[in-house]
Amino acid sequence: MTEVTLAVVLPLLGAFVLPLTRHTGVRWLAAVIGPALLAACALLLFAAWSAFDAPYTIALGGFAPPLGIAFYIDRLALLFALAVPLATLALWPAEAGADESVGRRQSLTLLLAGALSGLALSGDLFNLYVFYELAAVASYGLIVGNGNSPAYVAAFRYLMISALGSVVGLIGIALIYFKTGTLNLAHLSTLSEQLADPQGLAAFAMLVIGFGVKAEIFPVNGWVPEVYSAAGKRVAALLAGLASKLAVLVIVRVLLLVFPYDETRQLLLVLGIFGVAVGELAAWQARDLPRMLAWSSIGQLGVVFVAFSLPGTAGVIAGVTVAMHHLVVKSALFLLADRWDKAITRLRGAASTSHLGAALFVLFSLSLLGLPPLPGFWSKFLVLGGLAASASPLQLLAMGVILTGTVIEGAYLLRVIVMLYAGPDTATPVPRQRRGNLLSASLFALVLLAAAVLVDPLWQGIEALADRAVDTTGYQNTVLNTPEAGR
Amino acid sequence: MRDLATLLFLGGLIFLLAAITGSLPFGHPPMLVGQAIQQVAAPEVGATNFVTAVVLGYRGLDTLGELSILFAAATAGGLVLGGVKSRGRAKAAPAAGFILRAGADVLFPLLLIAGLYVVIHGHLTPGGGFQGGVILAAAFFLPLLARPHESLSHTWLSVIEGLVGAAFIALGLVAMFDGAAFLTPLFDKGVLGELVSSGSLPLLYLAVGLKVGAELASLLMRLAQDDGAAS
Amino acid sequence: MSAAIGLVFFIGAISLCVIGIAGIVLSRHLFRMVLALAIAEAGANLLLVLSGYRWDAVAPIVTGSLSGQAMVDPVPQAMVLTAIVIGVGVQALALSLVIRIRQRYGTLDMQEARQRMQDELDNDAGVTPPRSQERPAGERPIPAPAAVIDAGGRHD
Repeated sequence: MTEVTLAVVLPLLGAFVLPLTRHTGVRWLAAVIGPALLAACALLLFAAWSAFDAPYTIALGGFAPPLGIAFYIDRLALLFALAVPLATLALWPAEAGADESVGRRQSLTLLLAGALSGLALSGDLFNLYVFYELAAVASYGLIVGNGNSPAYVAAFRYLMISALGSVVGLIGIALIYFKTGTLNLAHLSTLSEQLADPQGLAAFAMLVIGFGVKAEIFPVNGWVPEVYSAAGKRVAALLAGLASKLAVLVIVRVLLLVFPYDETRQLLLVLGIFGVAVGELAAWQARDLPRMLAWSSIGQLGVVFVAFSLPGTAGVIAGVTVAMHHLVVKSALFLLADRWDKAITRLRGAASTSHLGAALFVLFSLSLLGLPPLPGFWSKFLVLGGLAASASPLQLLAMGVILTGTVIEGAYLLRVIVMLYAGPDTATPVPRQRRGNLLSASLFALVLLAAAVLVDPLWQGIEALADRAVDTTGYQNTVLNTPEAGR
Repeated sequence: MRDLATLLFLGGLIFLLAAITGSLPFGHPPMLVGQAIQQVAAPEVGATNFVTAVVLGYRGLDTLGELSILFAAATAGGLVLGGVKSRGRAKAAPAAGFILRAGADVLFPLLLIAGLYVVIHGHLTPGGGFQGGVILAAAFFLPLLARPHESLSHTWLSVIEGLVGAAFIALGLVAMFDGAAFLTPLFDKGVLGELVSSGSLPLLYLAVGLKVGAELASLLMRLAQDDGAAS
Repeated sequence: MSAAIGLVFFIGAISLCVIGIAGIVLSRHLFRMVLALAIAEAGANLLLVLSGYRWDAVAPIVTGSLSGQAMVDPVPQAMVLTAIVIGVGVQALALSLVIRIRQRYGTLDMQEARQRMQDELDNDAGVTPPRSQERPAGERPIPAPAAVIDAGGRHD
């Protein structure tokens, strides 16, 4: 039962061991050890998913929960934890560059994967903070990557904003510890009336700033366009697609368990509305593809926050759907933007050099816009339906903003598609896509199409998952009644 | 105008933080978890230093995460500052004067002993792997200041880092073979207050100390040896 | 008297946080931002340690002499150990980045470095930067400098 911890531990072990394998001179070992460990984690998590019947807790170190750190395993955690090794395998760093640099980037990717798995599974506030910091430091290194000059400045700016957020988040954790004396999410959940006063809400706002930097939430997302333009596009896909979703999951867990109040939901709703508005408008203004995708991801993450701000099961269902959809689509779009990172006007006729790439771009754009059979339609439908149901003025505003945002999205995505399928400009030929990127993007497309076909079973699965996730009493009982030795 | 904006910002921030933290129960914390740990830590973990019991026992996974963060920072530092490793400036920098060289030679063994003492006695007195590791890093950095051309090999440092980090995780994984959870303390708890007590905690702290020492020494060396060439 | 000492700790922690946060937000010099980050992290760590403080309590170490005397909370101390090490790692990485930015762009000013980064990214992407519309085009005749002396304020 406790094997799920290996999903966090094995990538860390791999990261430590990777520099050693380079020194032994066995070249193929160094190249293979990372993907092998990630594949092992994926198989492990898949086995845990199949054998799952009820949520359970793993008490790390054998120390029972409020004293020790506990991992809480339910379907929501397993879903996000399973996405981590799979997406990391699809986005594994390319072999370009000096030998040492490749090894270091692989170590950092493994550390990022381990940290993100920890974020999905952990049930302790400070442990979440530590894993979040690990993911952040690994991201700083990955952004630097092969070391082109803009990447240094972008990484520094991201580091400053993220460190500022972490300081604020740490003050928030100190506030919570001052008031309640515990850090375990289940224990805090039982004490959540103590945190319902303005001090507690301030602590929640600080936690949102702290964990929200990676989630590209409104006040602290200034780093996004520079970083996604300057870093390698595989790294951008990892950060925009995968890491941001895990950061959102942390905020949502804290919201559902410890601060399930209207004021906190409204805070997320307002920040989400700002995100959608700023993101979509700026994406329309962008003139090269990576920057456009970066602003677009801010917009989509705004939609995710609006979705999770809906009360009850509907919020979690809508949020998980939008988040998973965005994970698949945005990662693949960034992969396609790897070779297409010039100005949009320079992409004229790209479809004739790479038919598959253009077709995939069209597929993902249509899903992002929300065309009916594709999963993007369901995600937007769930969010708009949930907003229309409660009909408070703020939520109607959110509905309007999201609908306008969709129209603007259509404008800038179609602009790119028209450019792709226009007659080729023989003076400056568009570079071909790399085969590795096309392969990974095709895998994402297959997942998207499978989701489009299997709508009904997916719907039931997500509904069951959401029911469990909002059941805070169940969470408290599962975690706080664990016998001492790890089950 | 800019100064006015700065003052307003500072004033607003002070007001905000003071208002938020003003009514906190300073000096009388609720101590839910802390109280419970103080009551059971000695029999359960066997360490007299309760902070070590928390760091390596109750919150051992946080320590593993912390080690990984330091490793990530050192690796990223290697990515940023590594690459063209020219020894040109190191050779150009002359050996330091007699006082620094003699002082470094005298201090090096003393710092080593102090560092190892702090590391090994982490479960008995204030101290532990991180604190001792920083002292060890300083011990290895001092000769570099005195004799810039005789630096430690980055390869050996990274090998030590990797082996010791893997050893920490291995100590945690061993418990899993018996069906217990990850990072369950191993071995017998021994007598409270002895050097050899509290199971595998001193070994874990030894691993932490060596890893932190190697990583910080390597980071400091990279910062010192960076010769300013625009690479 | 002890209440006053406690207040001093508290005010100190909050002041450090405020100085640090203000420094990061308002500063333009890269190195000063790193220093402000160090100060802010020190303030946050101090605040976190203070959350375990109890009046007239001793360190949480079992020594033979005391039995039953109140001890401070060990958990915030363990948290701060972790937080300090995280801070050290981040600051070291920030310094390495500052060194490289200085080498590549020759400047330690945040605005200038960002502008150079933007220009380089735009050049690589082939996007014409929006600034160029503000500069006079090369072919337009520049008025004779006799009466019109523009005090070089173009470069912001």
